[in-house]
Amino acid sequence: MRATWACRPYTVRMTSPATISSELSALLAAVTVAGRPVAILVWAGVAAVALAIAVPSFRGWVRLASAVLLGALALGEAVLIWFHIRLGQVCLSVDPQTGRAAGAFAVPLWIESEKLYALALLLATVAVAARRHGEELRPLLAGGAALLAGAALAVGRPFSAPLPDFLAQYRGYLAAWASGDAAAAAQAFAGIEGSRRFFYNAWYMWVHPPLLFVSYVAFAASFAATVLMLVRKRSSYEQTAYRCARLGYLPLTAGMIIGMPWAIVAWRGEAWWWSGKVNMSLMMWALYTAYLHGRLYLRRPGMWRVAAALSVLAFAALVLTYLTTYLVPGVHSVA
Amino acid sequence: MERRRTAWDFALMMATVALLVALGAQSLLGTLYAWWAYRNEPGWEATGYPAFVTVMNAIAAPLAVALVVVMGLCVPKRLFSRRALVAVSAVLVGVGVSVAAVEDSVQAGLTAYLALAALLQCAVVVLTLADAGGLAYMAEGRAAKVGSGLLHLGFVVFALTVVALQSSSAMLPAFVASALLLAGGSALSFYSRGSSSERSGTST
Repeated sequence: MRATWACRPYTVRMTSPATISSELSALLAAVTVAGRPVAILVWAGVAAVALAIAVPSFRGWVRLASAVLLGALALGEAVLIWFHIRLGQVCLSVDPQTGRAAGAFAVPLWIESEKLYALALLLATVAVAARRHGEELRPLLAGGAALLAGAALAVGRPFSAPLPDFLAQYRGYLAAWASGDAAAAAQAFAGIEGSRRFFYNAWYMWVHPPLLFVSYVAFAASFAATVLMLVRKRSSYEQTAYRCARLGYLPLTAGMIIGMPWAIVAWRGEAWWWSGKVNMSLMMWALYTAYLHGRLYLRRPGMWRVAAALSVLAFAALVLTYLTTYLVPGVHSVA
Repeated sequence: MERRRTAWDFALMMATVALLVALGAQSLLGTLYAWWAYRNEPGWEATGYPAFVTVMNAIAAPLAVALVVVMGLCVPKRLFSRRALVAVSAVLVGVGVSVAAVEDSVQAGLTAYLALAALLQCAVVVLTLADAGGLAYMAEGRAAKVGSGLLHLGFVVFALTVVALQSSSAMLPAFVASALLLAGGSALSFYSRGSSSERSGTST
């Protein structure tokens, strides 16, 4: 069961399930080793942010602590980018029957164990860069980023247990390929090739999630400003909340619409229409649309309350949309 | 006269908000039910899911139609006086209902209605680009007005794609076109105005 892989012109090599498996194990060991000091740095950043927020005399250091967290997260992201590039070189999809290589994997940097990490990185960036009402918003944004970073390391474990679903499927395919059972190997190849073409390497996966993540972070900033407005009763926060929401609405709308034609093609015959994730995404979009529409008449008596309520409801819908992936089963979920 | 127009616009806006919130509530309840069904009815995806989709579609349809009608009122309001607007809207709905009756298909009626609404909105965008007089916008500035027009056109094209083009080869280009219209319209509508006008809200 040997195959010649000539997808990249600069490297032609003999490959087999055993050599791929061996290279993959070495790569996973390397990313675990490289990730260990990075994880310590990220935890240090989390602790710095927590201290700066919790201890009143350290409040002036929130931006610096956020920058430390951002730097550590960026370093970790560099490790993950290297890991994904190597993963693309190591993991091949080879037809066991013909020995022909179908292609390599371009696994996106924002799935599975890396989703929370990517969100933490984006939110930490906003926490450092925030200008308008930056001093007031920063503790909330940095606190959110620290929370996400901690959850990314504790739950997602992108360095110590990376991409569990992808690796489980890929190792299953390698095992089937090595077993000599032609039928099992063909079935495993059909599965991994379908995942490669319609999920990991799909253009949609490189566009749809990042657009939504950018919108989520903008909406988080909008929510923080709304909370400040409700607590401090100052209308200028409302303008900041609106600015952030309109920043998020554009990628949210584009991201959702881009996802739909892909779903129609890739999930043909599957139960995706009105599935939990689709439902909640629709709810979030409807509420943000309602918020931006309701804000038209902000100067009308009482309308600021309606706008604020819609803003809070819409953000609650965002959190529920994210959690739905893990709580409600379906084709769009991992529950 | 101006006051009546503002009250009319406000009513349309509140109707839009109410319909969107209702659609959001339906989505939440649908998700909760699906969550419950997955936990309590083994094999629900194979046995109960088709019926669930039918019920959800049946609940969403009147909301979606009402949203389209409100949008249908919102689109030509830029071109016509209030009296003419009601007449034009009635004609649009009448054409949709007639097509639905003749073809014996709600989908065909909605398609006809949305196609007419899209044509009207195209005319609005062209007239706005040409800086023609007589168009009623809340937004100030030509770019914001064009953005508003494109945004509404994007919504109508999106609805038309969902209703009529899902199985067509034109599906992907139509989705991309609606995404571009919505994104471009949002960008122009949200970012072309100065901070002073932000205090009164978005432009539509």
